[in-house]
Amino acid sequence: MTNSQPIRWATTAEVTIATPEGVLFRLPLAGPASRLYAMLLDIAIVLGTVNGVGLLVYWIFAKAPGFGVMVITLGEFAIGFAYGALLEGFWNGQTIGKRLFHLRVIDQAGLPLRIEQAWVRNLMRVFDALPFAYLVGGISALSNPLMQRFGDRMAGTLVVCQTPLVAPGEGSWTRQKYNSFMDYPTIAMKLRRAATPELASLIQDALRRRTELAAYARREIYRELATYLHSEISPFPDELVEMLSDEQYLINAAGVLFGDQRLSRVRG
Amino acid sequence: MILDLERFQAQARPRWSKLELLLAALESRPDRRLNLVEAEQLQEIYAQTAADLNRVTHGALAPDLRQYLERLVARAYAELYCAPPTRSEIWRPRRWLRIFTAFPETFRRQSRYFALAVMITVLGCALGGLGVRYDPGSVDVLLPADYLRNPGQRVHEEEKGQSRDLPSAQLEAAFSAQLIQHNIQVALLAAALGVTYGIGTALLLFENGVLLGAVAVHYTQQGFGLFVTAWLLPHGVFEIPSILIAGQAGFYLARLLLRRREDRNVRQSMREWLVLIAGLAMMLVWAGMMEAFFSQHHAPVLPYGFKIAVGGAELALLTVYLLLIGRRDTGAEVRTSVPSENK
Repeated sequence: MTNSQPIRWATTAEVTIATPEGVLFRLPLAGPASRLYAMLLDIAIVLGTVNGVGLLVYWIFAKAPGFGVMVITLGEFAIGFAYGALLEGFWNGQTIGKRLFHLRVIDQAGLPLRIEQAWVRNLMRVFDALPFAYLVGGISALSNPLMQRFGDRMAGTLVVCQTPLVAPGEGSWTRQKYNSFMDYPTIAMKLRRAATPELASLIQDALRRRTELAAYARREIYRELATYLHSEISPFPDELVEMLSDEQYLINAAGVLFGDQRLSRVRG
Repeated sequence: MILDLERFQAQARPRWSKLELLLAALESRPDRRLNLVEAEQLQEIYAQTAADLNRVTHGALAPDLRQYLERLVARAYAELYCAPPTRSEIWRPRRWLRIFTAFPETFRRQSRYFALAVMITVLGCALGGLGVRYDPGSVDVLLPADYLRNPGQRVHEEEKGQSRDLPSAQLEAAFSAQLIQHNIQVALLAAALGVTYGIGTALLLFENGVLLGAVAVHYTQQGFGLFVTAWLLPHGVFEIPSILIAGQAGFYLARLLLRRREDRNVRQSMREWLVLIAGLAMMLVWAGMMEAFFSQHHAPVLPYGFKIAVGGAELALLTVYLLLIGRRDTGAEVRTSVPSENK
């Protein structure tokens, strides 16, 4: 199975992986800002560690400061390279900074990072950091659809966002016991047939984000959607519509679109 | 047809939860290997979840649900298609000791890039040496300030130990660490500059060669050929080949870039690059210690003949190591590990 070659393509914000079975999934690419913040945090951690260890070493080698300098110089150098390579290689493609900013380094085929790839992308920092402040690496990332710096290109890696996700919950607006639109099965069926997936999703999103919208914005959006549905797609009787608020109109419409299809057939 | 999302979710949610639990267990213990039953179960739920994702993608506009399923499928895909070595395998001493044979094998496999690095350095040496020989004024341009001083005065200071404020083992230790750090950084840069299609690597090697040739000729002209040979040889026999191997790694990287589309085994190719870097880093650690603890001591403390003999012995050992170690395995490895490089 490991020899199969996945296909991938990218837009500015995400990469799409096509597995050998033809399954497509998208991964959100990490932007330069979040990568910069994670890197700054990692630099702070490395400097803190080096200085902490340095103080300890100076104390241990108080009578032989030359050896202390040797240990600190080599330790600082080794930590600088090994920090990123070892953490990314053994800790799910993440350094401490990347974990806190929900970033992860992965193979560009969508597979986990390998230890060799972690070393290559971290050793290549000597080039990406040129001439100062990661200018070469930054330009490389901004000019590449996969947002790869040179180290990533050589190692065949990507930095993706990995915010924790939970399965979306059921919307309370879909669980109403009585839907007056179901009393008009012909018009309800017409609504179901005429509504495009885009429109259905728009109604669903508008209801799901009810609490996120400001009151006046919510009223306007609901009014426009209800008016559009009533005039263009589902002309339910005026005496019914007059009794409903715009929000209730949309809740009923969503119930028709996303509710149990058998209900309408039984009633029809 | 619009997907009945609520009913769909209610039906599918149990298998998604099951897949989440299975993945969490696998991800929390990377050392764990699936048995046949578990692997079949994972494959089955993965296929079902992938089909769910397909339905959501084409049958509904539910961005949150689609994103959730994509994440789930991506995690399952990674577990199914990749079996990285376990931690116990990675930390096995034999695996790490293998670098001592892998390095010379890789060096020999990619020897054509080493030859290119040698050619460019020799060209730089010739130019630097000829420049100083026939145009003494070019010394000011070619050599850094430290080397511009009167060689006689510098040799005198070195032999008296006056150039060091605190000639002690401690100072040498600190000095060796700084040398190791600096040299590895320069070598790493030479190897990484391969991404400029080798142009950066070639320029760095050429500059290094010019400096080397100019110093050698400058000191020899003043009658200090023996001194400079004894001074540079003990650490130079490791330091200069390391920089050349860094150039070899850089040119190898450039070649990889040029033939990337046809070379399907990029992962193996980058492993070769890494092995060269690891090998040259080991050489530079030794060179740094020799430079700090040995090369800086001059006659009468250490006779020049002795220093040159030590340098010669080191060079012989390094040559034997690079050319002979792991030789029996090399042929087999060439056939199995890097087919694209030997077509």
